[in-house]
Amino acid sequence: MQTKSRFDPDSPEIKAYLDELAHQFVREGTMVAFPTCLPGMTTPITHDESRITALDINSKGHVYGGTSGRQAHVFGAAFHGLTGIVLDAGAVAGSTSTAAVCCGASRVIAFVNGPQGGRAMALPYLHLAEDWIQEWGLEPPVLDELGECVSGEAVVHAAGVLSGKTVVGVTTRHLFTVDVESGRITVVGEAPGQGHLATGRAAVFGQEDPTRLWRFDIASGKIHRAAIRLPDGEWTSPLRWTRDQNTGLLFTADAAGRLFSFDENQSFRFLGKAHLSPVGPMAVVPDGRLFGFCGTEMANLFCCDTVSGKVANLGVAASVLERRRYGYQFGDAVTGPSGEIVFGEEDNGGHLWLYFPRIAASAHS
Amino acid sequence: MSRGQIDRRTFMKVSGGVLAAGIAPSLSAEASLSEQPPYSVKWYPFTGHPDSDTCWSLSVGPDGRIYAAACAEGVPGGVVKPVRYNEQRDDLDYLFNLAEKVDDPGDSGRASQCKIHYSFAPSMHDGVLYMATHLSGPPIDLPVYSPWYSWHDAKRCFRGSALLAYDTRADQVLWWDTLIPKEGCRCLLHDEERGLLYAMSYPRDHFIIYDLRTRSRRDIGRISSINPQALFLDKRHRVWTSSDYGHLVRYTPETDRLEISPGLLAHDLNYQTGWHSVFYDVAPSPDGECVYASTWCPNPRLMRIWPDQGEWPRVEDLGPATQPRDTSFPIDMYRDHCGGLAFAGDGKLYYVASRWRDPKYNPTPESRKQNEGVVWRLDPETLKRQEVALLEHPTGLAHYVSRGAVDHNGDLFFGHVGNRPSGIFKVSMPADRKRKNAHLPIRMWG
Repeated sequence: MQTKSRFDPDSPEIKAYLDELAHQFVREGTMVAFPTCLPGMTTPITHDESRITALDINSKGHVYGGTSGRQAHVFGAAFHGLTGIVLDAGAVAGSTSTAAVCCGASRVIAFVNGPQGGRAMALPYLHLAEDWIQEWGLEPPVLDELGECVSGEAVVHAAGVLSGKTVVGVTTRHLFTVDVESGRITVVGEAPGQGHLATGRAAVFGQEDPTRLWRFDIASGKIHRAAIRLPDGEWTSPLRWTRDQNTGLLFTADAAGRLFSFDENQSFRFLGKAHLSPVGPMAVVPDGRLFGFCGTEMANLFCCDTVSGKVANLGVAASVLERRRYGYQFGDAVTGPSGEIVFGEEDNGGHLWLYFPRIAASAHS
Repeated sequence: MSRGQIDRRTFMKVSGGVLAAGIAPSLSAEASLSEQPPYSVKWYPFTGHPDSDTCWSLSVGPDGRIYAAACAEGVPGGVVKPVRYNEQRDDLDYLFNLAEKVDDPGDSGRASQCKIHYSFAPSMHDGVLYMATHLSGPPIDLPVYSPWYSWHDAKRCFRGSALLAYDTRADQVLWWDTLIPKEGCRCLLHDEERGLLYAMSYPRDHFIIYDLRTRSRRDIGRISSINPQALFLDKRHRVWTSSDYGHLVRYTPETDRLEISPGLLAHDLNYQTGWHSVFYDVAPSPDGECVYASTWCPNPRLMRIWPDQGEWPRVEDLGPATQPRDTSFPIDMYRDHCGGLAFAGDGKLYYVASRWRDPKYNPTPESRKQNEGVVWRLDPETLKRQEVALLEHPTGLAHYVSRGAVDHNGDLFFGHVGNRPSGIFKVSMPADRKRKNAHLPIRMWG
C-alpha cells in the first residue's frame, strides 16, 4: 500500500473532529433560501444581476433591497401571512451596483452606482399584501429617478434617520442628505465615505480614518469631523454596523473580527471575537443576540451573546426547506418582524435567506 | 466508493413536485443479449495502485490511446496515478504519481491530490493531454475531509486543483499550475482553437477559464450548489453546462456572461422538479451537430441537445436510462446510474446503465448479480436501443461506469467506480462494428 493512516480512529480527537463535521452547516436555528421571485409564478432576477448588496425593512415588516451585477435591481419582499414573494421592481438603467436601500416614512430611497456615479432612486411602497396571483393583481411599480447625489462620485452607503423623513448618505468624499418626501438631495459638506454608516438616536456615524469616526448631528445638520475615537483594534477595513432596535446600541467589528458595542452617549465596549474575519452583515434579534457572517469566500454564521461576549461559530449556511442551496457570501441583513433575520446573498443567483435562530432557553427552565 | 463518500456526493437529495420539461418518448425495441454479435468484456484492475478505489476519469488521449485515473479518495493521504492502456501488453502502464509531480505529496497534512474527476482534455496539435485534479481525499492523519469545514484552515485545506500538461508523445510532464486554489476541478474542457481550458470548481460551483497562453485564470462566478459533472463545447465556442434546478447554463465568450435557460432539462414529471437534473455525462455526436447527455439524478434521463437550434437549444428527452422503481423511497445514485457515453466506429452511441434486482420491477433470480452494468447501443437514427453486453467483474461490482471512450483501434473502454483496487473495462467491439481511428473527431472534454 502506498499510504498508511496516521491516526487512531477511536481517539477522542478524531471523534471530536467527526462530530464537528457532522455540524458544519447551520448548527443552530433554521435557514431558508427564498428566490428573488414569486416561486412558481415569476422568474427570479437574472443570474448575474442578483447579488444582493443592500437591504432595509419598513414598519410593516416588508423588506426592500437592491442588487449588484451586470445591472442593479431594486425589489420588495414579504414573507408573512399569505405573502411569500420577492417582487422585482426593475433594473435601474446604467447602474451596476446598489450601495444602499433605505425605507423612509413614505417611500423607499435606493442608491445605485454606475459609470456616471451614484444616483438616488425613489420607489413607492409596494402593496405586498396577500395572494398576489389572484384576480386583483398589481401594476408594475415605477422607479422615480431623483438624480445624481454628488457629481461624479460613487455613493458608498446611506442610512435613514429614525424619523423616516431623511436619509443621510456618503460618497467617497462628501456627505449628503435626501428628503424622503420631496426627493431633494442636499450636499452637506466634506466627509470621507469608507464602509457603512450607522444610525444612532441623534446622529449618523461614519469612518473618518483608521482611528476615528465622524459624526453627523441630525438636528443641527452639522458634520463633526474626527469626533469619536475608535477603540484599540485593527480599523483598516470598511466598517459594518447593526443596531439593536430595543436598546439603541450599535454594533461593529474591526478587521480582525473583534466585535464591539457602541453607545453614542458613552463609548465602545469590546464583546468578543468572531472566529473568522472580516465580519460581514450583522443583525440583532429581540433577545439581544447578535448574528452575522464572517470570513471571505465561504462565510460562516456566528452568534454573539452581547451580554457575556461569548461568540459561537454556527457554520456554513445551507437551506434545506423547499429551496436547497449553500450560502457562501452575504451582503446585508435586517431583522424581521418576528425576530427572524433576513440575509441578502451577495452571489450569482442570490437569494434572500431567512434565518430563524434557535429559541433561547428560558431563565425559568 | 465508501459509504461515506456516497453520502457526501448525495448530500441534499430530495424530490418534489412537477414542472414542465420536454417531450419524453420512450426508448424502444430492446433486444436480448443472445441476438447480438459478441462483445467480449475484460476487466483491468489497477493492481499497480492497490489503494485505488475509484476511476472517475477515462478518456482517449490525443494519441488515440486510453488514459484513466487510478484515484484513491477513501484512503487518508491517497493520491491519483494516471494510467494508460498498453495494447501491446494488453495491460496497464502506470504513468506517474501525480501528487509528486505537482509537489503536493500525500503526507502533506492537507487534503490530498487524490483524483482526477472527468478532467482529462486532449490537445491535438501538440499531443498534450491536460488533466486537473479534484478533492475529497482526507489528509493523511484524518479519516475524512470536508471542504466546507476546512476552507479557512491553512493546515488542512486542499491546496487547489492541480492542472498538469502531459506530453503523450514524449511521455513526460511538461508543466503544472494551480488551476483553482482551495477547490477541486469537477470537470474540464479544452477549446483548442482559442487556447482556453474551462472548468467547474467544487464545492463553490464557480465557472473557471484558464488561458493556456498566459497561464492565467479567471473566475466567471458561481452557477449554483450541486456541481454539474460535465461541460460541452459547441461550434460557436460557447460552453454549456447545467444548474442545480435543471436549467442549461451557457457561457458565451463574446459577452463574457453565464446565462441560464428558461426551460428545464429532462426529468421525470411524475415526481421530480428538475432539481439535481445536472449533466452527468455528455458525448458529442460525430457530426458535431448535437450532443447526447445523461443526468446525475435518480432515474437518470437520456437527452439529445441541439445547441444551434433556436435562441436556446432544442432538448429531446430520450426517456429514462434505468429501470422503474418505487419512487416513494429514495434511491442512491450509485445504484441508479448511467454514464460512459461514447460514439463508436459504427456510428452508434454506447453507454452503461445500471440495473438491479427489485422484487417488483426487476425480480431477477438469485443466480444473477444484485447489480448489473448493462452496455447499451443506441441508434441515433431510430432511437432504438439494444443491450449488447454485461460488464463482468471477477468478484466485485460492475455497474457504475463513470466515463467511456473508444480508442484508435475502435474498442470501447469504461472507467469503473466501486472496487478496490478500482479499474477499467475493455469491451472489444465486433469486427464489423469497429474501425480504425474511431475516436475521431475527438471529444474535447472529460
